[in-house]
Amino acid sequence: MSVDYARADVRPSLARRARKRPIALLAAALFVAIVVVLVWSSKPQDYTPLSPDNAAGDGARAAAEILRGQGVDVRKVATLGAARVADPPTTTLVIAEPHLLQEYQVQALLDYPGDLVTLGADDATLAATASGLSTSSDSGSTLALAACDNDDALAAEQVEAGPWTVLGTPAAGVTTCFPTPSGAATYVDLERDAGRLTILVSPDIVTNERLDQAGNAALTLRTLGRHENVVWYVADGLDTSVPTWEGGDGIAPPESVPVSPDFLPPGTLPAVFALGLAVMVTALWRARRFGPLVREPLPVVVRASEATRGRARLYRRSRAAGRAAAALRAHAATRMGARLGVPRAAGADSLVDAITRATGRDRGAITDLLYGAPPTSDAALMTLITELDTLEGEVHRP
Amino acid sequence: MYLTGWTALLAALGAVPALWSTGRTFAWVWVLGVLTLALMDAWLAPRPTDVGVRRETPRAVRLTESTAASLEIANLGRRTMRLAVRDAWQPSAGADTSRHRLRLAAGEAARLTTTLTPTRRGDRSADRVTVRLEGPLRLAGRQRSIDAPGVLRVLPEFASRRHLPSRLARLREIDGQTAVQLKGAGAEFDSLREYVIGDDVRSLDWRASARRGEVLVRTYRPERDRRVFTVLDTSRLSAARVGDAPRLDAGIEATLLLSALAARAGDRVQVTAFDRTERARAAGTTGPAMMPALADALATVQPALLEPDWAALARLIQGRLSQRSLVVLLTTVDVSSVDSGLLDAVRALRREHVVLVASVEDPHEAEMLAGREDVTEVYSAAAAARAALERDAVAMRLRQLGADVVTAGPDDLAPAVADRYLALKAAGRL
Repeated sequence: MSVDYARADVRPSLARRARKRPIALLAAALFVAIVVVLVWSSKPQDYTPLSPDNAAGDGARAAAEILRGQGVDVRKVATLGAARVADPPTTTLVIAEPHLLQEYQVQALLDYPGDLVTLGADDATLAATASGLSTSSDSGSTLALAACDNDDALAAEQVEAGPWTVLGTPAAGVTTCFPTPSGAATYVDLERDAGRLTILVSPDIVTNERLDQAGNAALTLRTLGRHENVVWYVADGLDTSVPTWEGGDGIAPPESVPVSPDFLPPGTLPAVFALGLAVMVTALWRARRFGPLVREPLPVVVRASEATRGRARLYRRSRAAGRAAAALRAHAATRMGARLGVPRAAGADSLVDAITRATGRDRGAITDLLYGAPPTSDAALMTLITELDTLEGEVHRP
Repeated sequence: MYLTGWTALLAALGAVPALWSTGRTFAWVWVLGVLTLALMDAWLAPRPTDVGVRRETPRAVRLTESTAASLEIANLGRRTMRLAVRDAWQPSAGADTSRHRLRLAAGEAARLTTTLTPTRRGDRSADRVTVRLEGPLRLAGRQRSIDAPGVLRVLPEFASRRHLPSRLARLREIDGQTAVQLKGAGAEFDSLREYVIGDDVRSLDWRASARRGEVLVRTYRPERDRRVFTVLDTSRLSAARVGDAPRLDAGIEATLLLSALAARAGDRVQVTAFDRTERARAAGTTGPAMMPALADALATVQPALLEPDWAALARLIQGRLSQRSLVVLLTTVDVSSVDSGLLDAVRALRREHVVLVASVEDPHEAEMLAGREDVTEVYSAAAAARAALERDAVAMRLRQLGADVVTAGPDDLAPAVADRYLALKAAGRL
């Protein structure tokens, strides 16, 4: 039964193909190995602003590396909960982008029994510490002198201030430095119950790009390098955990998080990512063709009247009213001659005679219509054609 | 290997547990897991080499008619198969459904039928048969294309066959007329029969009457066994579209009607399709086998974008024809015919044969000629008038050379040529 069935060719097995082309197999294996090694060894590039691993202009890797060179242990944590500070008195907790923290996280941070530095200011922190200050902004950044009684600020002498600033009357125990011309400050230092809180209101001075300007480096390094350890956290708005440290129990994160329109549940991003991968799988499903495309040899299709239409366009473009009238006159004469039985070889006179007899019109007018001067304008052409049609209609009338 | 929609769905379902995850790792693991599962499923699917395919295609079908092509799929393996089959034909074959799903137990075979309604004349070929064998989980499977060639010849439509009965009636009328006609051109001696009152006394055969002792008259019939040689011009002008079809199709219609009529009239028909070389030829067959053979020969004729070689055609005709014949040239009468050598060929053929030149007119040009709406239309009318004058001049030259010229629209050409043939026959000019 199977003799006359067409069947697919048996493809050689993978091992057989590999034996046939060892170099191709070797190259493929090498390629896979290189890719695996590269993927394994390369850390994902960090582009988070103010991150100690970000080497771009808005990162803070330069500051972190200098601190490390000075013997300070800089540790970056992805979540507040991962901080797990072992010895709070010798550890500076650095919080970048504090405005993305939740209220309870700010409260938990203020309980931290050690030095706290925020890169950037936020109203929640300023209010929670009763500093009497609130955030503001200037139009740009200016160079500002220390103008206060703070060792770190005096050592730096002059830093870039703005555009982010704080305004207000500082409460007792709160030191503000580097005032801008508008009276706002860009450096806040205050004593909490458990330790100091330093706010670098304008976090640009920490970045790789600005660190070498004025006294930026001095202020940054003195502020961050007070103790042997630095735990660096960049808030991202999705982390719901609270900081933890040796001996502290912290505040438990609340069961429910207040919902604001721009706040999505924490699992949203991973779910969207999973859906994105599913879309790629869908693309794989849809992209596979059910067999090859079939060729269809198509015939050439050009309208037979295309040449005539081209000639009509040429007539029109060059406004060849005379030439067009000549063609129409000749054609009308041929038709009328055929109708009246005038042989083609006969001259114009016999045709005009025949038409005169058939229509009873004036002979001169007919001669003029058929053999007169060519029209010079489109309007004259239209008039001539109308008259010619009328004449032809009379001839063809039964 | 191919994936099914279930794989995509399963991958999308991963978004639900991902809501409780914190990173991207879970999504990656889920999707890679689904893909691994699909890969395993494809590996577990039956082997495509176990599928046997046999195609049965009807040999030919007339254009605009439908036919059924069947495909037999057999499971030659030892496992039950769930499979999808794509029976691919080229688009102009007009297949209604190309995809079929079926389930075959081991050793079982199924017959799939695809209805074909071709939209173009010529050979329509089937492409490869693609089979998809589903894996046990229905997530993925194996896909292979199997070579199973098949060709369906689409014959010319022969729409003008509706004109045939009236032309045959006309042929019989000519028969009847000439049966009592005097001997003359176009009639040949048929038989002797007894004189009845009313017969023309001039047709009495005195010699036979003397021999038989009764009065006999000679009867005549139209000449038979004349030769009709039809030339179908397949050169560049035949490619131009007139109405919805190329000029060539109108020529084929005319060829078929003329040949059918001539064959019934007892004449010998030869057809050749020619541009610079002979593209198709039908000759030698007579009787009922003639029309199918002719349709088959003309089915695959396509216009070639070449200038016709009329001198070579004249030599070919003179080589093929030893007797006086009717040569019908189905071509286009155009200004370019003068340069291309049509006139010289007609002059050469005219010495021995009767030449009929048939040309397809464009009805669109007649519309252009009547346009008077605005200046643009008047210029179009002028261009059409100029083209008509030029064609008339060429036709006049052809007539002066002694050829008959027939021009008609694509639908009217076949009956016009048939009528001219009948007129020539009635006039005894063949």
